[in-house]
Amino acid sequence: MTYVVTDACIKCKYMDCVEVCPVDCFYEGENMLVIHPDECIDCSVCEPECPADAIKADTVSGLEQWLTLNAEYAKQWPNITAKGTPPADADAWDGVANKYPEQFSNKPGGQ
Amino acid sequence: MSTPVSPGTAGRASIRIGVAGVDEGIIRNLVHAFYAKVRQDPFIGPVFAAVIGDDWGPHLAKMCDFWSSVMLTSGRYKGNPMAVHARLEALQSAHFERWLVLFRQTASDLCPPDVAAAFVARADNIARSLQMGMAFRPRASAEPETERHGGQ
Repeated sequence: MTYVVTDACIKCKYMDCVEVCPVDCFYEGENMLVIHPDECIDCSVCEPECPADAIKADTVSGLEQWLTLNAEYAKQWPNITAKGTPPADADAWDGVANKYPEQFSNKPGGQ
Repeated sequence: MSTPVSPGTAGRASIRIGVAGVDEGIIRNLVHAFYAKVRQDPFIGPVFAAVIGDDWGPHLAKMCDFWSSVMLTSGRYKGNPMAVHARLEALQSAHFERWLVLFRQTASDLCPPDVAAAFVARADNIARSLQMGMAFRPRASAEPETERHGGQ
């Protein structure tokens, strides 16, 4: 069982979750974060921290594609342990639905 | 976008940060009283003793940091508990269950009911998650008696 980062993170990437995660299980892409499902201890601390409401428990239905995406990119992207600067237009993307098809970047972050 | 997480999701307690009545003092009292029980316990006491030995100071400090991070989002604890537990090949579901019994007892002895419930809800989730993580690790499953379906 794990928590999962979902569509709402894309292009918002506020990173508040990184500050509170006790086990450093977030990984950084160019415009979103993911959670490593084998490292998350299900403590639930990150979920209410996200200003974009992007973090969900994997018991929520319909998250299969996000579980897969989190697991895949957690292996490819660098670990992130401290909050950086969110994108300048983060607030403009907060609340925009279904960002994945047009906006998701598979490039690693933290460059 | 603003659809709330449905509150009834399989076995997971709805937990919010900033539980009223939780502070560093309560965390310290709970952690110290709990591990005093653990050390005396004939079943899980030896498991801890084998790893920690007699010098419990650092472990108690680490556990206070851990619970501070979990209950107060202080970010003080940084570590990889999944890896630490996965190294203990003899760990079984029964050990986690005993841990939780002692934790529940201690929390209900020391804390108001709502505070105790908040601690226990998080402990239940974390125990389940650790067991699932261990069950999927080759090293953990090398032990034939290792519980492989804990928490499912």
